[in-house]
Amino acid sequence: MEFKDYYSALGIDRTASEEDVRKAYRKLARKYHPDVSKEADAEKRMRDINEANDVLRDKEKRAAYDALADRVARGGHPQGDFQPPPGWDTGFEFHRGPNQGPADHADFSEFFSSLFGEAERRGAARRNYRARGEDHHAAIEISLEDALNGAEREITLRSQEIDAQGRPAFKTRTLSVKIPAGMHPGQFIRLAGQGMPGHGGEPAGDLYLEVRIAPHKLYRVEERDIYMTLPVTPTEAALGAQVKVPVPTGGAVEVTVPPHARSGLKLRLKGRGLGGKQPGDLYLLLEIALPPATAEAARKAYEQLAQASASFNPRQHLGV
Amino acid sequence: MATVSVTTAISASQPLAASELAHACGADTEWVVQLVEVGIVQVTTTEAPPERWQFSSADLQCALEARRLERDFGVGLDAAALILDLQHEVRRLKAVIRAHGLR
Repeated sequence: MEFKDYYSALGIDRTASEEDVRKAYRKLARKYHPDVSKEADAEKRMRDINEANDVLRDKEKRAAYDALADRVARGGHPQGDFQPPPGWDTGFEFHRGPNQGPADHADFSEFFSSLFGEAERRGAARRNYRARGEDHHAAIEISLEDALNGAEREITLRSQEIDAQGRPAFKTRTLSVKIPAGMHPGQFIRLAGQGMPGHGGEPAGDLYLEVRIAPHKLYRVEERDIYMTLPVTPTEAALGAQVKVPVPTGGAVEVTVPPHARSGLKLRLKGRGLGGKQPGDLYLLLEIALPPATAEAARKAYEQLAQASASFNPRQHLGV
Repeated sequence: MATVSVTTAISASQPLAASELAHACGADTEWVVQLVEVGIVQVTTTEAPPERWQFSSADLQCALEARRLERDFGVGLDAAALILDLQHEVRRLKAVIRAHGLR
Protein backbone atom coordinates (compact mmCIF):
# COMPACT_ATOMS: atom_id res chain seq x y z
CA MET A 1 0.00 0.00 0.00
CA GLU A 2 1.04 3.59 -0.44
CA PHE A 3 2.46 5.71 2.39
CA LYS A 4 0.18 8.77 2.66
CA ASP A 5 1.66 12.20 3.16
CA TYR A 6 -1.00 13.85 5.31
CA TYR A 7 0.92 17.12 5.55
CA SER A 8 0.98 17.65 1.79
CA ALA A 9 -2.71 16.64 1.60
CA LEU A 10 -3.42 19.71 3.76
CA GLY A 11 -0.69 21.81 2.14
CA ILE A 12 1.19 22.38 5.41
CA ASP A 13 4.59 21.33 6.78
CA ARG A 14 5.66 19.34 9.81
CA THR A 15 6.09 22.44 11.96
CA ALA A 16 2.42 23.47 11.53
CA SER A 17 0.66 24.31 14.81
CA GLU A 18 -2.74 22.91 15.81
CA GLU A 19 -4.24 26.19 14.68
CA ASP A 20 -2.45 25.90 11.29
CA VAL A 21 -3.90 22.39 10.83
CA ARG A 22 -7.38 23.65 11.67
CA LYS A 23 -7.11 26.65 9.33
CA ALA A 24 -5.70 24.59 6.44
CA TYR A 25 -8.42 21.97 6.84
CA ARG A 26 -11.25 24.51 6.94
CA LYS A 27 -9.94 26.35 3.89
CA LEU A 28 -9.60 23.15 1.81
CA ALA A 29 -12.90 21.70 3.07
CA ARG A 30 -14.62 24.81 1.74
CA LYS A 31 -12.78 24.58 -1.57
CA TYR A 32 -13.60 20.92 -2.15
CA HIS A 33 -17.05 20.72 -0.56
CA PRO A 34 -19.12 18.73 -3.08
CA ASP A 35 -21.96 21.30 -2.97
CA VAL A 36 -19.78 24.24 -4.01
CA SER A 37 -16.68 22.84 -5.70
CA LYS A 38 -16.16 23.12 -9.45
CA GLU A 39 -13.20 20.71 -9.33
CA ALA A 40 -13.71 17.37 -11.09
CA ASP A 41 -12.09 15.31 -8.33
CA ALA A 42 -13.74 17.20 -5.43
CA GLU A 43 -15.16 14.09 -3.78
CA LYS A 44 -11.84 12.26 -3.72
CA ARG A 45 -9.96 15.34 -2.51
CA MET A 46 -12.53 15.82 0.26
CA ARG A 47 -11.97 12.23 1.44
CA ASP A 48 -8.18 12.74 1.50
CA ILE A 49 -8.52 16.02 3.38
CA ASN A 50 -10.88 14.46 5.94
CA GLU A 51 -8.51 11.57 6.49
CA ALA A 52 -5.45 13.83 6.90
CA ASN A 53 -7.42 16.03 9.31
CA ASP A 54 -8.54 13.04 11.40
CA VAL A 55 -4.87 12.17 12.04
CA LEU A 56 -3.20 15.58 12.25
CA ARG A 57 -5.74 17.31 14.52
CA ASP A 58 -5.29 14.52 17.09
CA LYS A 59 -2.09 15.03 19.14
CA GLU A 60 -1.53 11.32 19.82
CA LYS A 61 -2.16 10.17 16.26
CA ARG A 62 -0.06 12.98 14.84
CA ALA A 63 2.93 12.20 17.09
CA ALA A 64 2.79 8.50 16.15
CA TYR A 65 2.40 9.36 12.46
CA ASP A 66 5.40 11.73 12.61
CA ALA A 67 7.56 9.06 14.26
CA LEU A 68 6.49 6.55 11.62
CA ALA A 69 7.21 9.01 8.79
CA ASP A 70 10.76 9.43 10.19
CA ARG A 71 11.29 5.67 10.25
CA VAL A 72 9.99 5.38 6.72
CA ALA A 73 12.32 8.20 5.55
CA ARG A 74 15.30 6.39 7.13
CA GLY A 75 14.28 2.94 5.90
CA GLY A 76 13.67 4.11 2.33
CA HIS A 77 10.50 2.21 1.52
CA PRO A 78 9.84 1.95 -2.21
CA GLN A 79 6.81 3.92 -3.36
CA GLY A 80 3.56 1.98 -3.02
CA ASP A 81 5.13 -0.82 -0.98
CA PHE A 82 4.52 0.35 2.55
CA GLN A 83 3.82 -1.98 5.48
CA PRO A 84 3.76 -0.62 9.03
CA PRO A 85 6.75 -2.03 10.96
CA PRO A 86 5.89 -4.16 14.03
CA GLY A 87 5.34 -2.08 17.14
CA TRP A 88 5.37 1.19 15.15
CA ASP A 89 2.94 2.76 17.61
CA THR A 90 4.66 1.64 20.85
CA GLY A 91 4.34 4.37 23.43
CA PHE A 92 1.41 6.08 21.73
CA GLU A 93 -2.19 5.58 22.64
CA PHE A 94 -5.15 6.32 20.42
CA HIS A 95 -8.69 6.39 21.44
CA ARG A 96 -11.96 7.65 20.17
CA GLY A 97 -13.85 9.15 23.07
CA PRO A 98 -17.60 8.66 23.36
CA ASN A 99 -18.25 12.19 22.07
CA GLN A 100 -15.86 12.46 19.15
CA GLY A 101 -18.45 12.35 16.42
CA PRO A 102 -19.18 9.73 13.79
CA ALA A 103 -16.49 7.18 12.94
CA ASP A 104 -16.08 7.91 9.23
CA HIS A 105 -13.29 5.40 8.73
CA ALA A 106 -15.22 3.25 6.27
CA ASP A 107 -14.44 5.95 3.69
CA PHE A 108 -10.76 6.23 4.58
CA SER A 109 -7.80 4.59 2.87
CA GLU A 110 -6.26 1.19 3.49
CA PHE A 111 -3.23 3.08 4.85
CA PHE A 112 -5.36 4.78 7.51
CA SER A 113 -7.25 1.61 8.45
CA SER A 114 -4.12 -0.47 8.90
CA LEU A 115 -2.50 2.15 11.14
CA PHE A 116 -5.24 3.67 13.21
CA GLY A 117 -8.23 1.33 13.04
CA GLU A 118 -6.61 -1.48 15.02
CA ALA A 119 -4.60 0.92 17.19
CA GLU A 120 -7.77 2.72 18.32
CA ARG A 121 -9.21 -0.61 19.38
CA ARG A 122 -6.14 -1.66 21.33
CA GLY A 123 -6.00 1.75 22.97
CA ALA A 124 -9.53 1.24 24.21
CA ALA A 125 -8.73 -2.28 25.46
CA ARG A 126 -5.70 -1.06 27.45
CA ARG A 127 -7.75 1.53 29.27
CA ASN A 128 -10.24 -1.08 30.43
CA TYR A 129 -12.94 0.87 28.69
CA ARG A 130 -16.36 -0.73 28.26
CA ALA A 131 -18.71 0.47 25.56
CA ARG A 132 -20.65 -0.75 22.60
CA GLY A 133 -18.61 -0.53 19.36
CA GLU A 134 -18.91 2.59 17.22
CA ASP A 135 -21.36 2.57 14.34
CA HIS A 136 -19.79 2.78 10.92
CA HIS A 137 -21.04 4.65 7.87
CA ALA A 138 -20.63 3.93 4.17
CA ALA A 139 -22.60 4.46 0.96
CA ILE A 140 -23.98 1.90 -1.47
CA GLU A 141 -24.88 2.74 -5.08
CA ILE A 142 -27.66 0.66 -6.59
CA SER A 143 -29.56 0.77 -9.88
CA LEU A 144 -33.00 2.32 -10.06
CA GLU A 145 -34.44 -1.10 -10.86
CA ASP A 146 -32.85 -2.63 -7.74
CA ALA A 147 -34.16 0.27 -5.63
CA LEU A 148 -37.70 -0.38 -6.90
CA ASN A 149 -37.72 -4.16 -6.87
CA GLY A 150 -35.25 -4.97 -4.09
CA ALA A 151 -32.06 -6.98 -4.57
CA GLU A 152 -29.29 -8.84 -2.88
CA ARG A 153 -25.83 -7.30 -3.13
CA GLU A 154 -22.38 -8.22 -1.92
CA ILE A 155 -20.26 -5.49 -0.44
CA THR A 156 -16.62 -5.66 0.52
CA LEU A 157 -15.41 -4.03 3.71
CA ARG A 158 -11.94 -3.45 5.05
CA SER A 159 -10.98 -4.44 8.54
CA GLN A 160 -7.76 -4.98 10.45
CA GLU A 161 -6.54 -7.99 12.34
CA ILE A 162 -3.24 -8.89 13.95
CA ASP A 163 -1.29 -11.45 11.92
CA ALA A 164 0.99 -14.25 13.24
CA GLN A 165 3.95 -11.82 13.43
CA GLY A 166 1.94 -9.43 15.58
CA ARG A 167 1.57 -6.90 12.76
CA PRO A 168 -1.70 -5.25 11.87
CA ALA A 169 -2.82 -6.96 8.68
CA PHE A 170 -5.39 -5.70 6.25
CA LYS A 171 -8.34 -8.05 5.72
CA THR A 172 -11.32 -7.75 3.48
CA ARG A 173 -14.64 -9.34 4.30
CA THR A 174 -17.64 -9.72 2.08
CA LEU A 175 -21.14 -9.12 3.33
CA SER A 176 -24.31 -10.11 1.59
CA VAL A 177 -26.81 -7.24 1.92
CA LYS A 178 -30.50 -7.67 1.28
CA ILE A 179 -31.82 -4.41 -0.18
CA PRO A 180 -35.56 -4.11 0.52
CA ALA A 181 -37.86 -3.05 -2.34
CA GLY A 182 -38.82 0.62 -2.56
CA MET A 183 -35.60 2.25 -1.27
CA HIS A 184 -35.21 5.96 -2.03
CA PRO A 185 -31.97 7.96 -2.28
CA GLY A 186 -30.69 9.08 1.13
CA GLN A 187 -32.42 6.24 2.93
CA PHE A 188 -30.21 4.17 5.27
CA ILE A 189 -29.90 0.42 5.49
CA ARG A 190 -28.72 -0.78 8.88
CA LEU A 191 -26.60 -3.91 9.26
CA ALA A 192 -26.74 -4.99 12.88
CA GLY A 193 -23.39 -5.82 14.50
CA GLN A 194 -21.28 -4.96 11.43
CA GLY A 195 -19.73 -1.76 12.84
CA MET A 196 -16.64 -1.51 15.06
CA PRO A 197 -16.09 -4.33 17.60
CA GLY A 198 -17.30 -3.59 21.15
CA HIS A 199 -14.92 -2.62 23.95
CA GLY A 200 -14.56 -4.73 27.11
CA GLY A 201 -17.01 -7.45 26.01
CA GLU A 202 -19.78 -5.07 24.89
CA PRO A 203 -21.56 -5.77 21.56
CA ALA A 204 -20.30 -4.48 18.20
CA GLY A 205 -21.74 -1.33 16.61
CA ASP A 206 -23.88 -1.29 13.48
CA LEU A 207 -23.01 -0.42 9.90
CA TYR A 208 -25.22 2.17 8.19
CA LEU A 209 -25.26 2.17 4.39
CA GLU A 210 -26.64 5.27 2.71
CA VAL A 211 -28.44 4.42 -0.52
CA ARG A 212 -27.44 6.25 -3.69
CA ILE A 213 -29.13 5.63 -7.02
CA ALA A 214 -26.88 5.19 -10.05
CA PRO A 215 -27.58 7.43 -13.07
CA HIS A 216 -30.09 5.85 -15.49
CA LYS A 217 -30.29 6.34 -19.25
CA LEU A 218 -34.04 7.07 -19.23
CA TYR A 219 -35.01 8.19 -15.74
CA ARG A 220 -33.81 10.82 -13.31
CA VAL A 221 -34.48 10.45 -9.60
CA GLU A 222 -35.25 13.28 -7.22
CA GLU A 223 -35.87 12.12 -3.67
CA ARG A 224 -38.90 9.84 -4.06
CA ASP A 225 -39.98 11.10 -7.50
CA ILE A 226 -38.80 9.81 -10.86
CA TYR A 227 -38.66 12.01 -13.99
CA MET A 228 -38.59 11.01 -17.64
CA THR A 229 -38.62 13.12 -20.82
CA LEU A 230 -41.45 11.98 -23.10
CA PRO A 231 -41.02 12.98 -26.75
CA VAL A 232 -44.30 13.54 -28.68
CA THR A 233 -45.00 14.66 -32.25
CA PRO A 234 -46.57 18.11 -32.90
CA THR A 235 -49.76 16.28 -33.98
CA GLU A 236 -49.93 14.29 -30.72
CA ALA A 237 -49.35 17.47 -28.72
CA ALA A 238 -51.93 19.52 -30.65
CA LEU A 239 -54.70 16.96 -30.97
CA GLY A 240 -54.04 14.80 -27.93
CA ALA A 241 -53.10 11.11 -28.10
CA GLN A 242 -52.68 7.84 -26.29
CA VAL A 243 -48.97 6.97 -26.15
CA LYS A 244 -47.08 3.99 -24.77
CA VAL A 245 -44.59 4.78 -22.00
CA PRO A 246 -42.05 2.42 -20.38
CA VAL A 247 -42.23 2.34 -16.57
CA PRO A 248 -39.18 1.73 -14.35
CA THR A 249 -40.75 -1.32 -12.67
CA GLY A 250 -40.77 -2.99 -16.10
CA GLY A 251 -43.26 -3.13 -18.95
CA ALA A 252 -45.18 -0.18 -20.38
CA VAL A 253 -48.40 1.74 -19.73
CA GLU A 254 -50.72 3.78 -21.98
CA VAL A 255 -50.74 7.47 -21.13
CA THR A 256 -53.18 10.14 -22.35
CA VAL A 257 -51.53 13.25 -23.74
CA PRO A 258 -54.18 15.99 -23.48
CA PRO A 259 -55.00 18.15 -26.53
CA HIS A 260 -53.21 21.57 -26.76
CA ALA A 261 -50.24 20.17 -24.80
CA ARG A 262 -47.12 22.33 -24.78
CA SER A 263 -43.46 21.45 -24.43
CA GLY A 264 -42.48 21.12 -20.76
CA LEU A 265 -45.97 20.01 -19.65
CA LYS A 266 -45.66 17.60 -16.72
CA LEU A 267 -47.85 14.49 -16.65
CA ARG A 268 -48.01 12.70 -13.32
CA LEU A 269 -48.34 8.96 -12.81
CA LYS A 270 -49.26 8.83 -9.17
CA GLY A 271 -47.51 6.38 -6.86
CA ARG A 272 -45.11 5.09 -9.51
CA GLY A 273 -42.04 6.62 -7.85
CA LEU A 274 -39.73 5.27 -5.13
CA GLY A 275 -40.36 4.84 -1.43
CA GLY A 276 -42.26 1.61 -0.72
CA LYS A 277 -45.38 2.28 1.36
CA GLN A 278 -45.35 6.05 0.75
CA PRO A 279 -44.20 6.12 -2.86
CA GLY A 280 -43.37 9.24 -4.86
CA ASP A 281 -44.67 9.83 -8.38
CA LEU A 282 -43.42 9.27 -11.91
CA TYR A 283 -43.39 12.54 -13.90
CA LEU A 284 -43.33 12.66 -17.69
CA LEU A 285 -41.95 15.89 -19.13
CA LEU A 286 -43.35 16.50 -22.60
CA GLU A 287 -40.88 17.41 -25.33
CA ILE A 288 -42.16 18.13 -28.83
CA ALA A 289 -40.09 16.36 -31.46
CA LEU A 290 -40.43 17.65 -35.03
CA PRO A 291 -40.66 15.12 -37.85
CA PRO A 292 -37.86 15.88 -40.35
CA ALA A 293 -38.96 17.91 -43.38
CA THR A 294 -36.65 16.09 -45.77
CA ALA A 295 -39.24 13.90 -47.56
CA GLU A 296 -41.39 15.67 -50.14
CA ALA A 297 -44.67 14.62 -48.49
CA ALA A 298 -43.55 15.98 -45.11
CA ARG A 299 -42.46 19.29 -46.66
CA LYS A 300 -45.90 19.66 -48.29
CA ALA A 301 -47.63 18.90 -45.01
CA TYR A 302 -45.56 21.59 -43.22
CA GLU A 303 -46.44 24.10 -45.97
CA GLN A 304 -50.12 23.28 -45.61
CA LEU A 305 -49.85 23.68 -41.85
CA ALA A 306 -48.24 27.10 -42.37
CA GLN A 307 -51.11 28.19 -44.62
CA ALA A 308 -53.75 26.86 -42.23
CA SER A 309 -52.20 28.70 -39.29
CA ALA A 310 -51.16 31.90 -41.08
CA SER A 311 -52.63 34.08 -38.34
CA PHE A 312 -50.59 32.35 -35.62
CA ASN A 313 -47.59 34.41 -34.52
CA PRO A 314 -45.44 32.64 -31.89
CA ARG A 315 -43.39 35.85 -31.48
CA GLN A 316 -46.32 38.15 -30.73
CA HIS A 317 -45.17 38.73 -27.14
CA LEU A 318 -41.81 39.97 -28.49
CA GLY A 319 -43.64 42.94 -29.98
CA VAL A 320 -42.45 42.33 -33.56
CA MET B 1 -17.86 -16.70 1.30
CA ALA B 2 -20.17 -13.81 2.09
CA THR B 3 -21.60 -13.42 5.57
CA VAL B 4 -25.32 -12.76 5.51
CA SER B 5 -26.21 -9.92 7.79
CA VAL B 6 -29.54 -8.81 9.25
CA THR B 7 -30.52 -5.72 7.27
CA THR B 8 -33.18 -3.17 8.11
CA ALA B 9 -34.20 -0.17 6.03
CA ILE B 10 -34.67 2.89 8.25
CA SER B 11 -38.24 3.91 7.43
CA ALA B 12 -41.53 4.99 8.98
CA SER B 13 -42.20 1.44 10.14
CA GLN B 14 -38.63 0.95 11.41
CA PRO B 15 -37.49 4.33 12.74
CA LEU B 16 -34.45 5.08 14.90
CA ALA B 17 -34.78 5.78 18.62
CA ALA B 18 -33.07 8.88 20.07
CA SER B 19 -30.35 6.71 21.64
CA GLU B 20 -29.72 4.96 18.30
CA LEU B 21 -29.51 8.27 16.45
CA ALA B 22 -27.04 9.53 19.06
CA HIS B 23 -24.89 6.38 18.85
CA ALA B 24 -24.79 6.52 15.04
CA CYS B 25 -23.40 10.06 15.31
CA GLY B 26 -20.92 9.28 18.11
CA ALA B 27 -22.89 11.51 20.49
CA ASP B 28 -25.25 11.19 23.46
CA THR B 29 -29.01 11.58 23.84
CA GLU B 30 -28.62 15.05 25.36
CA TRP B 31 -27.13 16.18 22.04
CA VAL B 32 -30.19 14.79 20.17
CA VAL B 33 -32.42 16.87 22.48
CA GLN B 34 -30.46 19.96 21.36
CA LEU B 35 -30.93 18.98 17.69
CA VAL B 36 -34.68 18.81 18.26
CA GLU B 37 -34.64 22.21 19.99
CA VAL B 38 -32.95 23.94 17.03
CA GLY B 39 -35.04 21.98 14.49
CA ILE B 40 -32.24 20.04 12.76
CA VAL B 41 -34.26 16.84 13.29
CA GLN B 42 -38.03 16.60 13.55
CA VAL B 43 -40.17 14.90 16.16
CA THR B 44 -43.95 14.78 15.95
CA THR B 45 -44.36 15.82 19.55
CA THR B 46 -41.82 17.43 21.85
CA GLU B 47 -44.10 16.73 24.82
CA ALA B 48 -43.29 13.01 24.67
CA PRO B 49 -40.10 12.01 26.53
CA PRO B 50 -36.98 11.47 24.32
CA GLU B 51 -37.25 7.69 24.82
CA ARG B 52 -40.41 7.76 22.69
CA TRP B 53 -39.03 9.91 19.86
CA GLN B 54 -38.66 8.37 16.41
CA PHE B 55 -36.31 9.44 13.63
CA SER B 56 -36.15 8.85 9.88
CA SER B 57 -33.28 8.42 7.39
CA ALA B 58 -33.51 12.15 6.59
CA ASP B 59 -33.02 12.93 10.29
CA LEU B 60 -29.95 10.68 10.44
CA GLN B 61 -28.51 12.41 7.37
CA CYS B 62 -29.02 15.88 8.91
CA ALA B 63 -27.71 14.79 12.32
CA LEU B 64 -24.51 13.31 10.83
CA GLU B 65 -23.92 16.45 8.78
CA ALA B 66 -24.50 18.67 11.85
CA ARG B 67 -22.05 16.56 13.89
CA ARG B 68 -19.35 16.96 11.23
CA LEU B 69 -19.94 20.71 11.00
CA GLU B 70 -19.63 20.97 14.76
CA ARG B 71 -16.48 18.87 14.90
CA ASP B 72 -14.66 20.17 11.80
CA PHE B 73 -15.68 23.84 11.79
CA GLY B 74 -16.56 24.41 15.42
CA VAL B 75 -19.99 25.86 14.52
CA GLY B 76 -22.84 26.06 17.02
CA LEU B 77 -26.01 24.09 16.36
CA ASP B 78 -28.02 27.20 15.40
CA ALA B 79 -25.48 28.02 12.67
CA ALA B 80 -25.39 24.32 11.65
CA ALA B 81 -29.19 24.40 11.26
CA LEU B 82 -28.92 27.42 8.93
CA ILE B 83 -26.07 25.82 6.91
CA LEU B 84 -28.15 22.64 6.51
CA ASP B 85 -31.19 24.63 5.35
CA LEU B 86 -29.06 26.48 2.79
CA GLN B 87 -27.43 23.24 1.66
CA HIS B 88 -30.84 21.67 1.17
CA GLU B 89 -31.99 24.68 -0.85
CA VAL B 90 -28.85 24.62 -3.05
CA ARG B 91 -29.42 20.92 -3.79
CA ARG B 92 -33.10 21.53 -4.58
CA LEU B 93 -32.29 24.41 -6.94
CA LYS B 94 -29.54 22.39 -8.65
CA ALA B 95 -32.11 19.63 -9.24
CA VAL B 96 -34.51 22.17 -10.80
CA ILE B 97 -31.69 23.43 -13.05
CA ARG B 98 -30.90 19.86 -14.11
CA ALA B 99 -34.60 19.17 -14.73
CA HIS B 100 -34.63 22.07 -17.20
CA GLY B 101 -31.55 20.74 -18.96
CA LEU B 102 -29.56 23.86 -18.13
CA ARG B 103 -26.54 21.98 -16.74
